[in-house]
Amino acid sequence: MPGLDIMGVSKNFGSLQALKDINLNVDTPQCIGILGPNGAGKTTLLKIITNILKPSEGKILVNGVNVNQNPTKALEKIGALVEQPEFYPYLTGRETMKFVARIKGMSVSGSSEEIEKLASITGITGYLDRKTGEYSRGMKQRLGLAVSMIGDPEIIVLDEPTFGLDPRGMKEMRDILITLKEEKKRIILFSTHLISEAREVCDRVIIVDKGEIKFNDEISDMRGNKMRIRGSFNNIKNIPGAKDLTTKGNEITLEMKPGETRNSILRELMENGVEIDSVEGMDRMEEVYLSLVQ
Amino acid sequence: MTNRFSITYGYYFRNYYRSRSFYLMLLLVLLVSGLMVYLSFRYLNKLPDFIPELKGKAISTGLKEELFLYIWAFVLSDLPVFAAVFFGSPAISSEIENRTAFQIFPLPIGRSVLLMGKYLASVSVTLVITAIYIIVEVITYIIVFPGQLPVTFFKSIGLLAVFIFSISAFTFLVSSIFKKNLYAYITVFLIYFIIFSAMNIVFELIYSYNPFFLLDNAASIVERVFVNVSTSTFAVNNSIAGASFSSIMVALLVMILYLVVSIVIALLIFENKEVK
Repeated sequence: MPGLDIMGVSKNFGSLQALKDINLNVDTPQCIGILGPNGAGKTTLLKIITNILKPSEGKILVNGVNVNQNPTKALEKIGALVEQPEFYPYLTGRETMKFVARIKGMSVSGSSEEIEKLASITGITGYLDRKTGEYSRGMKQRLGLAVSMIGDPEIIVLDEPTFGLDPRGMKEMRDILITLKEEKKRIILFSTHLISEAREVCDRVIIVDKGEIKFNDEISDMRGNKMRIRGSFNNIKNIPGAKDLTTKGNEITLEMKPGETRNSILRELMENGVEIDSVEGMDRMEEVYLSLVQ
Repeated sequence: MTNRFSITYGYYFRNYYRSRSFYLMLLLVLLVSGLMVYLSFRYLNKLPDFIPELKGKAISTGLKEELFLYIWAFVLSDLPVFAAVFFGSPAISSEIENRTAFQIFPLPIGRSVLLMGKYLASVSVTLVITAIYIIVEVITYIIVFPGQLPVTFFKSIGLLAVFIFSISAFTFLVSSIFKKNLYAYITVFLIYFIIFSAMNIVFELIYSYNPFFLLDNAASIVERVFVNVSTSTFAVNNSIAGASFSSIMVALLVMILYLVVSIVIALLIFENKEVK
């Protein structure tokens, strides 16, 4: 079973402490979203995991191998897409992928098959034989994701993977991550600014602020019992199954009482003549994030 | 290890020879070669006039051949400097400036392997560029002086090859210090063409001493194997004969020292490089 151990990692840039005593152990396949404001230390952490930066203190073990002391061995299990990816501009996408595949020990024929497969998944098949210097930001992002998946790594580290993508690209990227998590059983660490993205893709969320992990919990534990309902209401003031009901225009926010279900609340509303347009479940993630991050 | 090295070398070489810098150098070498061919035929009979001591004198064909090769080699010894500046100066700084380090540092390959692969790729494209000039030189020589090339020519080419390794290593060292390509370009030019020249003038004028330890002086052995004349106005120990064996060995040693020291320091810096 793959494992990632982050043990007491701190990072200083001069007098600035970018990371403070970060500890994290991941030994089961899951997707971990790292949330935090700009400058919180998310990317610094991912860079230390991928040997782009060295920790000032502490260590990172990949399957028990110290990334700082034996990077060649430790990084065999890692695929990474860190910051906005840039490639050697005079190599084509195919050559870039082949370069990485061959370095990861794949044969020439094996790497060709892998390239076709990953290009198809990430939607860059038609661009494979163009020089990467001619790629758009979004295409580079897709190529970066394809490169990070070469050799089927056990741990995938992605730094804001949907950055620079159009809405369709963002959706496709999230679908790829969900597939990697659910079908391939990989450990995925990815940073994002988007709470909705973390909610959709991740099993666990870590909130980082000012170089510290402020929160680390499973998404399932953050599911709340709040609902947001949009529709047309006739001065509705009270619903027996709900508490903390607030009405604002054509929107009601409420919290279900213990034992109540979403269906029972909706039934009550409809019996009171409410026409419902949309219903949205609300979890605690946003609340938690805003309470921790100043 | 060897396999990963050859893969790295192959891809870097490909990235180099497709670059604009390569085509710019190719254009430069073709222009310079063309100019040298023209000058060779235009001033063939005035070859002795290039050396003040021989001005207006009749000289033997052997010396004429040596002078011909000296002048071609004089230009040749500067070509690797320009090529190394184009290919070597941005070698490491560009990984930071162009952000490609974010792609290569997380790969399961030693940074020393990456650096050496890139270094040899850079040396290779410089060799290709200089080879074009040398081919034109040989063809011109054979037309002007039918017969075999002298052994000294091959000595000069061997020394040039060492110089290419040496100057490329030096530019890699400079590149490893900076995060911006422009700073690396300027620094190499400043050191090689201004600081070294200034040191030459100071040592030769004030102390009448030949600063053999400077890389540009060591590189001049490429032409001095034919005729031991330095173009510096203040140069000491000029001679119509080729450089002595000891002078060749000293120059060779200096170039090898620059090569080894530069590569070792560049490796150490690259190994510990961080990208914020």
